[in-house]
Amino acid sequence: MKRLLRYLKPHWRDSVLGPLFKLCEATLELIVPLVIATIVDRGIAEGDRGYILKMALLLALMGLIGLAFSVTAQFFCARASVGFVGRIRSALFAKLGSLSYSDIDRIGTSTMITRMSADSTKVQNGLNLALRLLLRSPFVVFGAAIMAFTIDFKSALTFVAVIPLLSIVVFGIMLLTMPMYKRVQGKTDALLCTARENLDGVRVIRAFGKEEDEIAEFREENQLLTTVSKRVGRISALMNPLTFLLINAAILVLIYAGAVEVNLGNLSQGQVLALYNYMSQILVELIKLANLIISISKALASATRIADVLDVESTDTDGKAVCGVGSEYAVELRGVYARYAGAPEAALENISFSAKWGETVGIIGGTGSGKSTLVNLIPAFYRAEAGEVLVDGVNVCDYDPRALREMIGMCPQRAVLFSGTVRDNLKWRDPNASDEEIMEAVKIAQASDVLDKKGGLDAVIEEGGRNLSGGQRQRLTIARALVGNPRILVLDDSASALDFATDAALRRAIADMKGKMTVFIVSQRASSVMNADKIILLDDGAAVGIGTHAELMEKCELYREIYYTQFKKGGSENE
Amino acid sequence: MSKKNGRGGARVLRRALKYIGKYRLLLPVSAIFTVITVALSLYIPVLVGDAIDLITGAGEVKLDAILEILIFAAILVGGAALSQWICSTLNNRIALGVVRDIRNDAFERLERLPLSYHDSHRTGDTVNRIINDAEQLADGLLLGFTQLLSGILTIVITLGIMIYLNWAVALVVFVLTPISLLVAKFIASRTFNMFKLRAEAEAKTTSHVNEMLSNQKIVKAFSHEDESQAKFDELNGSLQARSLKAIFFSSLTNPLTRFVNSLVYAAVALVGALLVLTDNGAGAALLTVGELAALLSYANQYTKPFNEISGVVTEFQNALASAGRILEIIDEPCEIPDGADAVVLGVAEGDVSLSDVSFSYTPEIPLIEGISLEVTRGKRVAIVGPTGCGKTTLINLLMRFYDVTGGGISVDGTDIRDITRHSLRKNYGMVLQDTWLSPASVRDNIKMGKPDATDEEVIAAARAAHAHSFIKRLKNGYDTRIGEGGEELSQGQKQLICITRVMLCLPPMLILDEATSSIDTRTEIRIQKAFSEMMRGRTSFVVAHRLSTVMDSDLILVMRDGNIVETGTHEELLARGGFYFELFNSQFAK
Repeated sequence: MKRLLRYLKPHWRDSVLGPLFKLCEATLELIVPLVIATIVDRGIAEGDRGYILKMALLLALMGLIGLAFSVTAQFFCARASVGFVGRIRSALFAKLGSLSYSDIDRIGTSTMITRMSADSTKVQNGLNLALRLLLRSPFVVFGAAIMAFTIDFKSALTFVAVIPLLSIVVFGIMLLTMPMYKRVQGKTDALLCTARENLDGVRVIRAFGKEEDEIAEFREENQLLTTVSKRVGRISALMNPLTFLLINAAILVLIYAGAVEVNLGNLSQGQVLALYNYMSQILVELIKLANLIISISKALASATRIADVLDVESTDTDGKAVCGVGSEYAVELRGVYARYAGAPEAALENISFSAKWGETVGIIGGTGSGKSTLVNLIPAFYRAEAGEVLVDGVNVCDYDPRALREMIGMCPQRAVLFSGTVRDNLKWRDPNASDEEIMEAVKIAQASDVLDKKGGLDAVIEEGGRNLSGGQRQRLTIARALVGNPRILVLDDSASALDFATDAALRRAIADMKGKMTVFIVSQRASSVMNADKIILLDDGAAVGIGTHAELMEKCELYREIYYTQFKKGGSENE
Repeated sequence: MSKKNGRGGARVLRRALKYIGKYRLLLPVSAIFTVITVALSLYIPVLVGDAIDLITGAGEVKLDAILEILIFAAILVGGAALSQWICSTLNNRIALGVVRDIRNDAFERLERLPLSYHDSHRTGDTVNRIINDAEQLADGLLLGFTQLLSGILTIVITLGIMIYLNWAVALVVFVLTPISLLVAKFIASRTFNMFKLRAEAEAKTTSHVNEMLSNQKIVKAFSHEDESQAKFDELNGSLQARSLKAIFFSSLTNPLTRFVNSLVYAAVALVGALLVLTDNGAGAALLTVGELAALLSYANQYTKPFNEISGVVTEFQNALASAGRILEIIDEPCEIPDGADAVVLGVAEGDVSLSDVSFSYTPEIPLIEGISLEVTRGKRVAIVGPTGCGKTTLINLLMRFYDVTGGGISVDGTDIRDITRHSLRKNYGMVLQDTWLSPASVRDNIKMGKPDATDEEVIAAARAAHAHSFIKRLKNGYDTRIGEGGEELSQGQKQLICITRVMLCLPPMLILDEATSSIDTRTEIRIQKAFSEMMRGRTSFVVAHRLSTVMDSDLILVMRDGNIVETGTHEELLARGGFYFELFNSQFAK
């Protein structure tokens, strides 16, 4: 929480004034019983009707001033908490934008979204409540006790006895039940998980006729949840009766003690009445405080989680180079090792190869063989653990990441488009691209028919591109990578949803482009990489073959095996 | 329209109340204790007032009489506390019981619903209904009722006591208090629009955040961070402005109602104090100081039950909506049960025939029309075609996850609608591409189809499926837990376990879905081997992505847009020069 306080600093005036006005209002509330006491002791006792009227008007006036105080307080508190969280969210979003791929992998998308939404909202509500009530409730409780002392020392001792007792009951039950509620939540989550797993596996469960077993399992977990809930329910059911009992017992004691004092002439009837009123005020505030503490502790947990994300040091590269040195090679890898954070084994082991400008490099291998990892090293999305990755003769880590990424047209595995028009999406690489340039890229990406069908560059794409089919999305993402003529193009398994004919046409169009790009094609299909100038076959992170199709067919057994499983030449392979 | 909704609401309510019906003996007991609690705790201020009246002046106080009153009050306090405790314990028991029962019923129903229900409803939504809506229902309906009861009782009894003490003061309270409710209502209606505006801004911000954060890697690949941040800050700014407005104006409710309360309080103090000074014509005052004290404490609390009741109404509406959602599941018609004369299919020979089968998910859009097909025992059928062409539909029909809408499918000459579902499905071994394993140990997953298998059988099956070597290398071997909180397996490893699962019981017919892309090369070769071993001598339907599989098949079904467009062997189809020819040749296109 401390780490977040600097975002509260610009709102320090609001955060001080809010509670302050709240306390002013509470002070007025503490005076009310005294006014009532004077009405009884002076107005009634002396039969002074004018005095009674004056005091009643005073009560109304105090209500009005209290209203002014609390409205002002609400405003400051709301402004402070909304402003505070607005700042946090903006900082959080910026921080998330600065993270490297490894950081993103480690933190996870759903965590990032939760921090931005639910956690932020909880902090906002928590701060608002805290500013309004955290000082007010204890102030009223102790204020009431102190006022009691100003009336009569002996009677006020009841307060000294009852406040700790009430606190023990209220906070004791709270402390006792909080971990139990956590367990209830845990059991609820488990039940939810069982239900979800069951629904996800509905076909398999029915195929194996396991419905009854599933029902039995659900019933059992449901019963477990019910049992735990009942247990905690029994304890929290004690809260209201016990506090009611304590406060009323205290009132009865107070009245008897007051009666004795009045009989001795030390106290008046009105003063006993005031003591009774103060005692009544305490209970309400203590219960408010207990609920407040629960909300605030939840908000604090959210705040800590947000602070943890804000504290993450981005591991993205931050070099200064803005251009290469005019090397003969577009991309070079020298003895590169790569490893994902926390993974026991390297994702890439000792990879070395070079690609000249204008060459096409095919990368083939099964899932998990390290193909994507390899191409992701080129724009420095991930850092090599050892060895060097050079683009145009400069180590990628020495580049300003923006300059480096501007050189590269990236077409990632997951074909994602963003809400907006087709034009907006295709301008991501080059915001100044003309419609002609965009249409040229669309043509090469074999996406002209997509535009025809959807209504041209102004066609609206819905969030995630869900109004397009997988193949349509893929072709548009390829077009997006081509806009602005990148010097290096990376197609990371980008044609998987295309049929073989479109895939082939796409590769032909790219090969025919003027001012040849250096192209990296990642694929599982031998047909997609067969014609590359260089094919790299990866298996379990190691390059088991580098060469042309003909060379690999000749000397690499795994390549042959893959080729034949995909293109079974009549009778050449028989098991 | 609204009338119809109202009736729907009443129907939902009646159905929901049936769940409480099981606890009908506890319910009146709880109600009785609610009455006792309210009555006792409201009577206490009267007794306190009586005691205060006896505290007159120095030397005049009747301590004995006061003690007597206070002891009586203490007994009432104890009684009220006890009955309050009993009441909430009972309510807790009923509410939790109702949640449990309704959840069990809903879940049981899910297991009996036709697959079309599951295919057309999102998992997250269904789960939400079972878990959260069930809870909302119990909280809202049951706790709502008790709160409503105690709220109304409090209002009535308080008013009664006040009238008994002094009708004039009661009138003041009775007339002025509703103002605070009006104020609250006024603010709520005024802020409704502000909250709507805020919700809109929030939705926009959230969707931008979701979209950008879910695809953060692409944002970075295109160095689009600044544009994205600028848009966020703009959205966030407008959200903040609207939030401030909505939060501030809605937070005026409390100060304003408190203000109205303090006016009421002042009025009661004024009128009450003046009445104390007024002679009733018989030498006594119209009101005593003690009675004034009691009236003041009632005036202070009189708005509380009103606020609670208006809270209950919203809760109640939410609960009704939740009840509607969860009852929708429970009231959904079950799968047509197996007929009384349905036969239990033993181990089938594996002759499958489709005669003039038609099928559609929705009547308006015909999908499969007039397919006839004879597959004799031991034959291998490959199903090919572009994604989304209806390959899974065919599997759905064979396994009877869906019933045909025309024609019929038979196994060994018996129409599958005359066979019990369990026994039909037991005759199929199914390995789908989306590999589902239950969150349990590897061993339990493998034994799913044959719970009494010995360890030796399990290992033998794993060896046959080429899965043994990786399973034994797992942290706890066959006892390794998978799924939530357990070991993370690769897609290929999961598929191998699914194959082992089928290998263990080896039914006479197989439905296999070849993986497209998510498996590493070596595992892929293993799976291919395991598949061909399994298929030997069994009627098999393979959704094929590999030409090698296709070419070895006895029959190829070429599907497109939900229909079988061509059937035949590889050679026949090539010779025909149709869609299959096109598909096949595009493999080699340059």
